[in-house]
Amino acid sequence: MSDAYLQLDKLTLAYGDTVAVKDLDLTIEKGELVALLGPSGCGKTTTMRSIAGLLTPASGRINLDGDDITRVSANKRNVGLVFQSYALFPHLTVYENVAFGLRLKGVSGQDLDKRVTAGLKSVGLSSFASRKPAELSGGQQQRVALARSMVMEPKVLLLDEPLSNLDARLRLEMRAELQRVQKETGVTMIFVTHDQVEALALADRIVVMLNGGIEQIGTPEDIYNRPVSAFVADFVGFENVFKLERGKLVTPNGPVDLPAPAPQAAGLAWRPRTVILGSGPFQGTVRGTSYAGNTREYLLDTPLGPIKAEVDAGLAAHAIGTALSFDLPLAAAASLSRFG
Amino acid sequence: MTSRLFPPIVLGLLLTFLIGPFLIIIAASLSAGDTLAFPPQGLSLKWVAKVFTIDSFRESFAMSMFLAVFGTLSALILGIPAAYALSRYKLPFGETVRTIVSLPIIVPGIIVGLALLRYLVVPFGFNITLALFFAHTALVLPYAVRVVSASLNNLRSDIEEAAVLLGSSRTGAFFRVVMPNIRGGILAAFILGFVTSFNQVPVSLFLSGPGVRTLPIDMLGYMETTYDPSIAALSSLLAFLSIGIVFLAERFLGFSRYV
Amino acid sequence: MFQNRAEALALALPAAVFAAVVFLLPVAILLSEGFHADGAWTLSAYTGFFSEQLNRTVFIRTFKLGLEVTAVSAVIGYAAAFAIVNLPPKGKGRMIGLVTLPLMISPVARTYAWIVILGRTGIVNQAITGLGFSDEPLRLLFTETAVFIGLLQLFLPLMILSLISALENMPKDAIPAARVLGANWFQVFWKVILPLTKEGLVVGGTLVFTGSLTAYITPAVLGGSKVLMLETLLYQQVSVSNNFVSASVIAFMLIVMSFAANILLKRLATARNKR
Repeated sequence: MSDAYLQLDKLTLAYGDTVAVKDLDLTIEKGELVALLGPSGCGKTTTMRSIAGLLTPASGRINLDGDDITRVSANKRNVGLVFQSYALFPHLTVYENVAFGLRLKGVSGQDLDKRVTAGLKSVGLSSFASRKPAELSGGQQQRVALARSMVMEPKVLLLDEPLSNLDARLRLEMRAELQRVQKETGVTMIFVTHDQVEALALADRIVVMLNGGIEQIGTPEDIYNRPVSAFVADFVGFENVFKLERGKLVTPNGPVDLPAPAPQAAGLAWRPRTVILGSGPFQGTVRGTSYAGNTREYLLDTPLGPIKAEVDAGLAAHAIGTALSFDLPLAAAASLSRFG
Repeated sequence: MTSRLFPPIVLGLLLTFLIGPFLIIIAASLSAGDTLAFPPQGLSLKWVAKVFTIDSFRESFAMSMFLAVFGTLSALILGIPAAYALSRYKLPFGETVRTIVSLPIIVPGIIVGLALLRYLVVPFGFNITLALFFAHTALVLPYAVRVVSASLNNLRSDIEEAAVLLGSSRTGAFFRVVMPNIRGGILAAFILGFVTSFNQVPVSLFLSGPGVRTLPIDMLGYMETTYDPSIAALSSLLAFLSIGIVFLAERFLGFSRYV
Repeated sequence: MFQNRAEALALALPAAVFAAVVFLLPVAILLSEGFHADGAWTLSAYTGFFSEQLNRTVFIRTFKLGLEVTAVSAVIGYAAAFAIVNLPPKGKGRMIGLVTLPLMISPVARTYAWIVILGRTGIVNQAITGLGFSDEPLRLLFTETAVFIGLLQLFLPLMILSLISALENMPKDAIPAARVLGANWFQVFWKVILPLTKEGLVVGGTLVFTGSLTAYITPAVLGGSKVLMLETLLYQQVSVSNNFVSASVIAFMLIVMSFAANILLKRLATARNKR
């Protein structure tokens, strides 16, 4: 048993009779920034809520900083949570929102004021102290929510879809903000998201979840370049995903040989970028094409099924209906150890 | 066909029908004469003054106030937790509870009064005032639950979770974070309950006795024997009271939002 | 955080138990009295009740008045609601306030006014004798007409408010569209307004009908013992004749009618919300 900072041990979570997460094992080191990534319904939010104590596990254990907190009530765990809706108290000012948890702990007077002011300053909202939440923009509300959790000096900070509600520009700002907070305070941060771009950009490690279980854990590079299953491959943008059976590609038209011996794997996946157009052992017809500024995308009808390719926009375009040969170079393929 | 005159005529007649009688009562209560009549023979405030001197009116007014205030308060004490349970939890018998609690609106009040008299007061010598108090509480309970539920349904539950994660207990979270934000709904429920209870007649019909009488019942009794403008004056005063309360509630609370 | 069922039950139980004990139980016992005679379950109370001429008259009268008040309030209601809906916002708000106003006033006060108006020396009779239509003042009080008028005034606002809500939820262009296609106002009403505001009509109608069936004060004050309705009959049976079985029969009928109306309203509400 490693002495990881946060450890989830065979955790099973259910809502009534519906099992949301089954036998989950996860270890997180102190100071890590971890993303729980997956489609809706995969169990990532449920897992997060159980770490916070808002959901009691059906079975399994949660250990934090050496203590078994499985049965510890949510108000005693010292875990922070920034809700997707921010959950600011509408009847209190920004200052009182941030001071809420500190007051409950018995902090008062100068000490309270010092900590609250520092908290507001760290998210750049010092001049908003006497405003009410309804008067703030979404981005500002989120920062208040962040300050409110951070002044409590939590052991773990959880964030529920922190960037989903923000527009593109705010998203970049908030991303930088979260990274800064994490670097400055060293707090262990776990955030839940369905957006792989967010996960890849922010996290030290990504936990990809599906149907109540973990599909893959790895660094962003691992996940991006070496997906282990068809699901993860598809999730991070591999468009051409094939099952491998006895060394042949499984296609709608039957098994297809590859020019060179295939590796031992359950499947192979190619990013559109790595498909070679114009030469190769396979034939296809251009069914669709779209121009994307820097690149041009092609959708080919082939005996292997539909193939998506992406090339530099500078190259000469192929018209719809053109017959092309193409190659799927094995060197560029991701080997999938699972296909399901 | 829609002549320009149609709407004003319809509305004029409508208002005359709906509000005219009320205005007539006010006029009749200002009569200087000795019998109930309209148009009033001369103007005087003597009947308005007389109302305050009649002992039984004072007593029954006090009784009605007592029932309205404390009946509504107890309805809220019972109703707020119930509303909270119904709106926040997925109760297995949620619908059943909601139905049971809403029944007093559906069952005609006179039946409740009769049943309580027959099975509680008469056989057990149960105190009539207490029975009346229970009846009024039961009467207001559905309104309390309904209005407070509506307020709770409009309040996100994640602020309670946020409060708990910041160290608050569940009850602490309720009082610190939920109550302040449903205050308007609770107040609206109180006002609605108060007016409903105060104006209620059928429930109190059978649960009356010497010294135990609500104001409307007292008025009905008085009307049977005496034919003077006192009742008109009292009716006018009560009407102004009701309207005044609701008007203030709308002004300072936006009452209509909650009901 | 809201998973604990025991917590939830603990919070809801006091209200439910209170309602059950103070309210449900006594009423249930009262109703059962109507089905019991000499220790056996029987409908003899009901057959006995309807075998009496007076009771049948009261029963029919109550229903008849209920339907009449509902029908008339629907007609007036549509006219009034239509006029109100087409007012400019300020005027509309004020009118709605004025229509709602009577609902705040005690039914005793509202009914009492009719005594002043319909009494022997009331306004109407003053006008009639003064203008020479009759030598004697007419007996207007303690008639079905008086009760009808009282009930109408009591419940008309409910119908109007219901129809206003229905009219506002109607697609705004439906009426101009029909007019452009050549419909006269009568056709517009039958083929466009009525079908589209059906629900509001049923809601208002149910409220008015049930209210009229279960009214006490208005029939008591304006009808007295000459024009008995179900609730005033109930009161009389208990306070004068000590006939609790009869009271139980009446109570049962009143509750059934009220329940039926309530279920209908609930069905409509959920059907509307599904859209």
